Order: sequence, then C-alpha cells, then structure tokens
Amino acid sequence: MTVGLATTLSGSLAQLGQDAERGVELAIADLNAKGGVLGKQVKLATEDNQVTPATGTANARSLVLQHKAVALFGPISSAVAAAEQTVAAQYKVPLIDFMANDAGLQTKTFSKYSLQVVPNTTMEPRAAADYLATKSAGKPITIGTFAPDYSFGHDSVSGFIDALNALHVNYKLVNQQYPPLGETNIAPFLSKLVAVAPDYVYNAQYGNDLVTFTKQAQKYNFFDKTTVIAMYGVQELGELGDQIPAGTIDFNRAPFWVMGDTVTPFVNEYKAKYGQLPPEWSLLGYTAVQTWAAGAKKAGDFDGTKVADALSGATIPTIRGNITLRSCDNQAEIPEYVGVLTDTPDQKYGVPLWQPGSAFTAPFDKISTSC
Amino acid sequence: MNQPVRTTLQKHSERLVPFVGRGPVDVHRRPRQVALRVGGVVALLVLLLVAGQVLDIARLLTLEEALALAAFAMASNLLIGYGGLVSFGQAAFFGIGSYTVALGWLHWQLSFWLALVIAPLIGGAVAGIIGLLALRSRRLYFALLTLAFSQLCYVLAQERYTFTQGANGVIGPMLPDSLIDPRHAYLFVLAVAAAAALVLWKITTSPFGLVLRATRENRERMQALGVNVFGHQLLAFVISGAFCSLAGVLFVVYSQSAYPELLDWTQSGYAVYMVVIGGMFTFLGPALGAGVYTFANQYLAQHTSDWQLILGLILLVIVLFRPDGLAGLLSPRPWRSAARRLQARFGQQEDSTTDTTDPDRTTGELP
Amino acid sequence: MRTLILDVVGILATAGSLFIVSSGLTLVFGAMRLINVAHGSFYMLGAFVMTTVAANSAGARFWVAVAAATVVVAVLSVVVEVSVMRRIYASDHLTHLLATFAVSLIVADLALRVWGSGGRSVREPSVATGAVSLGGATFPAYDLVLIAAAFAVGLGLWLLLTRTPFGWRIRAAVDDPELLSCTGTRLSLLRTGVFMLGAALAAFAGALVSPQVTVAPGMDTAIIVSAFIVAVIGGLGSIPGAALGALIIGVAETLGASYAPSWSSSFMYLAMIAVLVMLPSGLLGRAER
Repeated sequence: MTVGLATTLSGSLAQLGQDAERGVELAIADLNAKGGVLGKQVKLATEDNQVTPATGTANARSLVLQHKAVALFGPISSAVAAAEQTVAAQYKVPLIDFMANDAGLQTKTFSKYSLQVVPNTTMEPRAAADYLATKSAGKPITIGTFAPDYSFGHDSVSGFIDALNALHVNYKLVNQQYPPLGETNIAPFLSKLVAVAPDYVYNAQYGNDLVTFTKQAQKYNFFDKTTVIAMYGVQELGELGDQIPAGTIDFNRAPFWVMGDTVTPFVNEYKAKYGQLPPEWSLLGYTAVQTWAAGAKKAGDFDGTKVADALSGATIPTIRGNITLRSCDNQAEIPEYVGVLTDTPDQKYGVPLWQPGSAFTAPFDKISTSC
Repeated sequence: MNQPVRTTLQKHSERLVPFVGRGPVDVHRRPRQVALRVGGVVALLVLLLVAGQVLDIARLLTLEEALALAAFAMASNLLIGYGGLVSFGQAAFFGIGSYTVALGWLHWQLSFWLALVIAPLIGGAVAGIIGLLALRSRRLYFALLTLAFSQLCYVLAQERYTFTQGANGVIGPMLPDSLIDPRHAYLFVLAVAAAAALVLWKITTSPFGLVLRATRENRERMQALGVNVFGHQLLAFVISGAFCSLAGVLFVVYSQSAYPELLDWTQSGYAVYMVVIGGMFTFLGPALGAGVYTFANQYLAQHTSDWQLILGLILLVIVLFRPDGLAGLLSPRPWRSAARRLQARFGQQEDSTTDTTDPDRTTGELP
Repeated sequence: MRTLILDVVGILATAGSLFIVSSGLTLVFGAMRLINVAHGSFYMLGAFVMTTVAANSAGARFWVAVAAATVVVAVLSVVVEVSVMRRIYASDHLTHLLATFAVSLIVADLALRVWGSGGRSVREPSVATGAVSLGGATFPAYDLVLIAAAFAVGLGLWLLLTRTPFGWRIRAAVDDPELLSCTGTRLSLLRTGVFMLGAALAAFAGALVSPQVTVAPGMDTAIIVSAFIVAVIGGLGSIPGAALGALIIGVAETLGASYAPSWSSSFMYLAMIAVLVMLPSGLLGRAER
C-alpha cells in the first residue's frame, strides 16, 4: 500500500519539507515494524512541488493515479495545499494537512477528504492574542504586523487582529508589512516597522524568512524596544544560535519540550535516528500518518471515502495522546502552545528553548471558532 | 509592382516549413512534397491521439502540459521567428489567459467555455495597448520594454491581493466536469492546440505573414515599398498575444490554477528557450522545443538535481553551434546553408541598411 | 525629521548597492554592446564565496572575504569570457541574451551543488555592527558602509575611465572598435579586461550585500531584473546614468514601501516604461548605432 507526500523539498522551504518527510518516514517505519496497516506494509512516495500550485496539482495527481497512493500528506504552503485538496476531492483520496494551516482550507476549498491535524490560522493567532491580552492587562499598546504576502500570512494577521478585538485588547495598529515569501532583501519593509517602533510586532513568517527577519531586525536594535510575537521552531532557534532574541514571545504548534511525557519516546527515537531534536514538522508528520492508519483500521479498508468517513469525528491515539477530529470541518481538537524565548540552554535538552515557567497551553475550545 | 514582390516573398516562405517535411518545398508546385508533409502532420496527430489512449496518466499529464506550452511557443514564434521581434513579455499574455479563466470563475462564476472565447480577446486587446507603446522601440529596447510590461502584469497579479489572491494564485474547481477526466482533458487540449496551430500556419502563409517575414528581413525596403511596417508588426503582436492567451487557457486545463509565476519574466524566457532549441526557422520547431523542454524538465528534475545544468548546456550548444535548433537537425539541408541564413539574419540585425552579398538573400531580384 | 533621515539613508543604501551591480552591467554593455544576463550570477557567486570565506566571523576577516570574493569571481569570469563570450561578440542581441542566459542556468546549478539550497548568512564587520542613532532615527550602521562603497566605486570608475590608458581604450572601444584595433590595441585582451571588471563589480556588490540579505539560490534572477531596470533607465552604457537610475529606483522602492505599500513593486516597472517610451535610449544614454 502506498501513501504519498507531496511537499516542498527544494528552494527556501526545503529544510521544512525535509523535517516533515523525516517524521512521516519514521511513522511509516514504526507502522511497518508492527506489521503494517490492515496486514499490509506501507510504502511512501514523495514528490517535490517547488512551492508551485500547478506542480502540486501535478504531483498529487501523479501520486494518486501513478503511484496508486491511497492517502496524501499535505505540503507546506497553504496555496499548494489548496491545489492538492482540489485533486484529493476529485479522486476521493484523503489529504491530511499537517503543515499548511490556512483556515480557508476548511472553508473555501474544503471537502470531506480534507483533514487538518495542526491548529489553523484562526486558532494559532488567537493563542498568541490570549497571551498578549494577559500580558498587556488593559494597558494601551501599539501593534505592528509582518507577514508573508500570501493567503496564510494575510489570514494569520487578520486572525490575530480579530482575536485582539474579541479580547478587547486596548491596541493601536501602527504598521503592517507584507514582504513576499522567500524575499531575501527585507530592508525596505523592515525599516518602515522600525521607524514606528511598535510595542509588539506580530510576525507570521517561518523558516529562513523568520531567521532573516530576526538577524536584520537586530541590526536596528529592534528587539530592545519591541517585543516580537512569532513562530520560532527548533530549526529556527538552532540556526539563530547565539543570536536568539531573548524575551520574544513564541507561539508553537508542537513544542515537544512542553508536551509532556507522552512524546518522550518519540523524541528519543527521533534523536537516535537523525541525531537531532525533533522539529515541530516531524512530530506533526508523525501524527498525520498515525491519523491515516487509525482511519484505515477503523474503516477496515483503504478506500478513500471509507477512510475519510471513518476519521470524521473519530478519536485517534497518537504520540501526543488522543486527538479528536471534529466532524464539521475535520479539524483536530488540539491546543496551541505559547512561551518566551531565552538564550540560555535548557536544562534537559541542552539547547536554548523557552524560559522556565513561561509555557502556556491554549486549549482548543478557547481558541477555535465553532462551526 | 505587387506581383514581383509576391514571387520573391514566396521564396522566403520556403525557409519556414514544418520539420516533418523534406526541406524546402514550394506549396504550389510539388504535390508529392505537399502530400508528404500533410501525411507527416496527420501521422503526428494520430500518434498524439493514440498516446492519449495508451500513455499512463503521469506521462499523459506531462504531454498535456507540453501541448499547452507548444501552443505558447508557436504563438511566441510568430513574433520571434517570423517577425524578428524578440519579445521578452509573452508570459504576460499567457498569464492573462490563465487568469481570465481563474478570476472569471472566482468572481463571476464565468463558465470555462465562455472564458475560452473571451481570453484571447482580452489577451489581444492588452497586446494592442502594449504593442502600440513597445513597437516604437527596436530590437534590444523592444525586448526590454516588453519585459517591463510583463513584469508590471506580474507584480499586479502578485500585489492586487483582494482581486487576484496574490502570490497564492487562484485554485479551485474551475474546470467543467467534462474536463476532469485526464484523458478527456488531454483530447480537448490536443484539439484546441492543433486548431490553433492550423490557424497560425494559415496566418504565416497568408500575404500578411509573407509581408511580416519580409519586414524582418529588410524593414527599410518594405517601408520604401509603401508597406505599413508598424501596422503589420502591431497586428502580429496582437495575434501572438491572443494565441498566447489561448495557450494560457489550455495551461489551466492542465494546472487547474492560475498563479503569478505564469507572468514572470522567466516564463517568457522559457518561451524564447523553447523557440530557440526547437528551431525558430521552422513552423513546428517551437512545438518540438516545448516537448523537449517539458519532458526534460520533468524527468531531469526527477532523476537528477542537475536539470538546470543540462538545460543550460543544451541551450549554449544550440546558440553557439546549431542556431537553427533541433528542427534543423531533422532537416536534411546542409549545415552550411543554415549557418548562412543565420548570418544573413544577424548581419541584418546589426545593420539593416546595408546588404551583404549573401546568396540566400533576395536583394537582386527586387525590382 | 526622523522619517526623513530614515528615508534618505534607506534610499542611499538601496541605491548604493544597486549602483555597484548596475555599473558593471552598463560598463560591459557600453564597451562591447554585450547584454549579460549572467551578470546576476556573478553577483550571487560573489555572495556565496563571501559566506564561505567570512563564515560567521566578524572583524578583519570580513574585508579579506570581500576581496577574495571579488578576485575569485573575476578569475571565473575570464573562463566564461574565453570559452563563451568570445564566440558571440559579433552576433546580435538575441544571441547574447540566450548565451548568457544559458551561462546563468549553468552557474545556478553549479552554485547549488557547491553551496546547497539552504540560506546562508554573514555577520557584518565589527566596525559596522548594530545601529546608529542620528537625529532620533535609528538605522543599521552597515547602511553607511554600503553608501560609502557606492561613492568609492563611482569615483574609482571615473578615475579609471578618464585618467588611465586602460580607461581611454575602453572609451575608444565604445566609439570605434575598428579604429582602436588599428592603433595596435589588442581588442580581445581589452574585452577580457572589461568583462572581468564588470564581473568583479557584480561580485563586489554581492559580497557587500551579503550581511543584509539571506544568501541563497535565486539571488541571481532577482537582482538581474533590477540591475537591468537601473541601467536602462539611466541609459545603457552610461555610468552616471546607472547612478541616476539607481537613485530613482531607490526612491521608488523606499517611498513606495512607505506611502503605497501595496503598489510598491509596480513603481520600478512604471518608471522604466515611462522613461523608455519618452526617451528610448534612457535618461543619459546614446541612441544605439
């Protein structure tokens, strides 16, 4: 039985794609070691979409029609995810998104074959806003935003602003910048933000882009006056090394260091195999495969429609504990995590992660909208 | 006056024959050659039809993409090869075609079939406006102006977020149900691309096409003969724009999406690439170039990380040693004649007022 | 005042690095009528060599790395010139565009092999770390390095072209290459020299901007369009024109990002179209022969 991973393995997002692939591979290896799914060994077919929707469409079609993939695991970019979703619905194959999380994936291009095991762009910024509301405690604050110029960036920022309004935070929006995804020269955008020096900046970048932003902003001493709120993951922190901006608010989709003992075996297994701590994308990729396997077992069949139906509303055992996919939009009922960055190494893991005691778990029912 | 010019121009037309034929032929005088050529085209069509039934889906999709790009390359070659107008902005019209379908579907639930008709009209109209301004410049500056216009279209597609969905592009079920099945979609793309090729062939062999070619060879003389060179070039630009847009619609059948990179200058660059590796002096050469480019791109990208190196080397070798492209290899004509034709062309471009004594030129025969 | 200072520094820093890249492009075009699409590749190579030599160490090593990047790329450019460019000088612009486009594809691939697809970064030199405050405005100290470098390059090129025999020959080559070869100048050697100088300028610019950007594949295609626009607006072949063009683009980008952020990228192309439609040879260029 073949499953397909149509993600980005080249260009500026290549690192994230590789992290995802490792998580998926590890999960499949573990499944096969325990006898496979429904008695069959699982094989992975991977294709690189070069962050282009048309290539994503072609990849998804070739995975389904050529490799006979019975399930697809989604890409990084929400734009490509939307393209692959269209194909998944056409050929009635479940597509499990574990990286792309634009809320539009569950409204605009949604079909029952789309499943989502990451917090979406409504939930993620809401968690950050919750944290900020507590921190600012009613005082007036100024806010700037910085996000990649595509649906994810725009939706993440508007999700954040909506959340601030809902929480009645006393804020003033002073500057908004949308540099292109993968832009290497962000100086013209960044200098505008620096000129107004907001109290807080919500940054929806990730990967190399976020690293570039951090290094550039440090040249303006930006972190002295402004607290940045952004998604720093294991890879980003590793790449920043001694340039980690301590005090920055970090929202994170799957920080293994605060997810409790249930993920410890996974962390150890990952470290043993790849010689590094598991990035968020690997952990989420692992859960995505577990989700599909549980669906196939429940349906007793590999048929896409049966698996999708079985998964909707189901509760699935995963390395992060049981997760439930709510039936209205197949969103996994999982929390988002928030913490504060530090530049001193963590006692347990030996690399700088979050300030002790700063971790905050935003529960699903508080950050999600009902549907 | 008119008659002798026509006769001379027909000789020019001999240089542009489908590579499936046997070298230079005169349409009106050698029925055997015509039959061979028609036979060749029919055989190619049958081959493509059979391929649509027997190929596996992955290769079929690549072939479908190649057909859409072949239409794009042939439409671009109306300017590059026939008109001698090297445009680095044809991607703008290609993208406009794709976006007509996508935005029409997104904002107004426009039916695909209607978009198929409207897209070339919009592409042609935009080409008319751009052509009016760009054709005032010549050669290099024409190339740069077309580049600037298409980049402008590119950033508009990227920045008008609320209208175009920005860098995301437009994605969704914009195709009619009848084109969801890949084999049906393939047949549709093949039919439209073949029809477009036929119309383009008719245009290039029409009196208009012959005059266009003559303006490429010697603009000043055509002007002296009272030919409205600007008018002919503008019309060529509009026709090419319209057909590039049509190719853009075909690409949507393949990609089911429209996104800004379709309008980027590198996309125009790849059109020129396909034209040049295929052979700009033959009608079907660019289509061959599109096929080679698409399959090379697809399979090299899968099997080696060095696809750029290989595409670059192919281009370099062709530019340096085989300027008539791959189609030139299939033609039994001696290599020297191709080189001479090219020299004539380049000599002309360098200085179009002086004539060389190149035997392939038709100087002496003009009244 | 604060915004004004920030804008002026931003404009000059953007224009500075653009000028250095474009001056090389326009110099090569002026002397040899050669359109070099691979110019962006030399820029990218300069940045990559920079990341390798400078690694992450600040201090004097930075300047050694800038020099190394410039020299290494200049030597590589001679290989390109001798193996490819020499064969096509006599051809038309389309051949130039295609051959140099082919070279840029090949270089992009080789760079990917050597340096990989991930982003790389360089620390700025220790004299220009952190921020500078001036009149209430805070901007990166490194911006001043870029501005100073642009002035130095401008002055250096002016001295070279007006005060040295090499420069005289280049200017003579622009006017009448045939006559120049009659005077005993070896045209092929001169061409190699000019091509190398152009590539060195591109590499120098790439090395200089490396602390400002993420050095990664794709830098080449991104810069070449901007460099062309700058050179074309100023007039291809004119070095003062490149300076003027760089300033115009600097203004368009910086003010665009402030006052009309969602239209900012369009201004660059609109400026180019406006100039070319009204003055087909650019602001300070000469009509092509």
